[in-house]
Amino acid sequence: MTSAMAQMRASSLAGALIPVVLALAIGAIVLAATGHDPLSVYRLMAVESFGGEKRLQATLSAATPLLLTGLATAVAFRTGIFNVGVEGCFYLGGIVAAGLGFWLVGWPSTLIIPVALLAAALIGGLWLLLPGVLKVRLGVDEVVTTLMLNFVAINLTSWLVNGPLLARGSANSATPAIQKAAELPRLLPLTTLNLGFAISILLVLLYGCWGRFTVAGFRSRLAGLNARFCRAVGIDVSSLVIRIMVLSGLIGGLAGGIHALGLVHRFVAGFSPGYGFAGIAIALLGRNSAIGIILAAIAFGALASAGATIQLFSDVPIEITQVLQGAVMILAVAKLGFGRGRGTAL
Amino acid sequence: MLDTLIHSALLMTTPILLAAIGGMVNRVGGIVNIGLESMMLSGALVAVIAASASGSVLVALAAALLAGAVLGLLMSLVITRLEANEIVVGLGFSVAVAGLVRYLLKSLYGVSGTLDPQGVVMLRSIEIPFAADLPMLGAILSGQDPLTWFAWIMVPVTAFVLYRTRTGLRLRASGAAPMTAHALGLDPLGIRDASTVFAGAMAGLAGAHLSIGVVGLFNEGITGGRGFIALAAFYFGRNAPWRTALGALLFGFFEALQIRLQGHGVPAQLVQMLPYLIVIIVLTGLGLADRRRSAAIP
Repeated sequence: MTSAMAQMRASSLAGALIPVVLALAIGAIVLAATGHDPLSVYRLMAVESFGGEKRLQATLSAATPLLLTGLATAVAFRTGIFNVGVEGCFYLGGIVAAGLGFWLVGWPSTLIIPVALLAAALIGGLWLLLPGVLKVRLGVDEVVTTLMLNFVAINLTSWLVNGPLLARGSANSATPAIQKAAELPRLLPLTTLNLGFAISILLVLLYGCWGRFTVAGFRSRLAGLNARFCRAVGIDVSSLVIRIMVLSGLIGGLAGGIHALGLVHRFVAGFSPGYGFAGIAIALLGRNSAIGIILAAIAFGALASAGATIQLFSDVPIEITQVLQGAVMILAVAKLGFGRGRGTAL
Repeated sequence: MLDTLIHSALLMTTPILLAAIGGMVNRVGGIVNIGLESMMLSGALVAVIAASASGSVLVALAAALLAGAVLGLLMSLVITRLEANEIVVGLGFSVAVAGLVRYLLKSLYGVSGTLDPQGVVMLRSIEIPFAADLPMLGAILSGQDPLTWFAWIMVPVTAFVLYRTRTGLRLRASGAAPMTAHALGLDPLGIRDASTVFAGAMAGLAGAHLSIGVVGLFNEGITGGRGFIALAAFYFGRNAPWRTALGALLFGFFEALQIRLQGHGVPAQLVQMLPYLIVIIVLTGLGLADRRRSAAIP
């Protein structure tokens, strides 16, 4: 029994590592073809993201939004809901939190932060209510509706930030900076690592407990594995799907809110460099498990923070990290001939 | 005024229509292609490079077509042979190719974002002598480039091939019932791959239209989500070529209108939301109709 479990654990670890290794190999080909030494670039990236306390903090700070977008996606995927709309929730949550962050003048931190984050989560949850209801009541494919809603959200926030919410005298599309009181407190001085990271880790761990120890968590996994069976034993899958979709949106919105209050301190055009889509890669790579999400988010955070610095210290363009991210996404769902059922959640 | 609006609406429709036809054929074959945007982007870049290097529009178009087709083949193989989820793979291609294009621009050409090489030849518009003088019809028929003509000719051609030929039947069978197709001795996976290669080629041409048909240079944002608007168009069209073309035309018209309305107080971003909203509304309407129909059956 225990050896079987150990074997399963080993195969799932290998399942998560193989796509990463292959993606690094693809990245190495790109690097070598453009006249860079892949090994020395990767070594530099590893040092820049994990070498030393300060760099580690930068990596964890970069992992913060990814923890939550990964979590938002995993919640939906494990229930068998193909939600690709977290990106849109992230934008909306970001603009709502930033908006409240500069409007609520004179509010104390203890009030303004919870209110802004709650509002950010709520807008995300409401945003995904429609695709949830459409899927359950009318059988409308949630992939298409959630994907389309991303572009609606991006355009909508882009309009707001270029018009009604544009900071006075600002040429580039940005809202005014939020109040000092609305900024999430830093966990350590002189870093960008803030309370948002602690909230995110806590939520991912809570999700792990929810999935493992609660009836609702068990039901959601069951619905993901076999929705017909669930209906047969009397689980109300329809209402479950709607609730999980909204939950996924709540987390996606919160992710945007935390990013606005914790790091950017305002809302700008192009607020998310694809955090929502990276969340898909993270959920897949982490197999929807809490530990998996944390490890994958930190790996992607490392990639992001290293990418920013390697551009300074070498002539390797930062976009190599985007190539790696896309390759991981593609390879994470490919059945590569070992183990069983890669990406079976879908 | 109306003539220029018609003309620019048709111009904006062409890339959407090309990619939408490809995506529609791909979907009939059983794959929802979310990677059209990446194939369009690669086509746009390759067309500019080839047009400047060779000085020939035909070479540029062939290169763009090939670039899209190769990406399509790669994507298809991952989906059909490695049984990967088409949606995630499509999104992954969008992310990876966008990164790769920017990476190559910086490391090979030393530019960030925009590539504007010397001597890019552009598509030339075809003037039709007598039609040009007709009101409205002149704006529709005359002064269009060859890719626009090609895109619109492909609409009836695709309709014919899909629904009136053996090839079309086999493609539809591979999409609708791969097991049955296999039992009949067909190779559904191979047919699916072929349909994705076709989609990639069409998306590559769509990219070429943007770069050497409209502006004459390459910019990393040149596709601007048109691959996803094409997706919206073929969902709007529900596998029917003419309805898909209507969707593409509608979205092309919105784009032309949005450019026209700039500076008149109508926010561009709100107009740009419309294609995506319309698809959700159309899918909702179809869902409602389905439910009513199934409720009518006792």
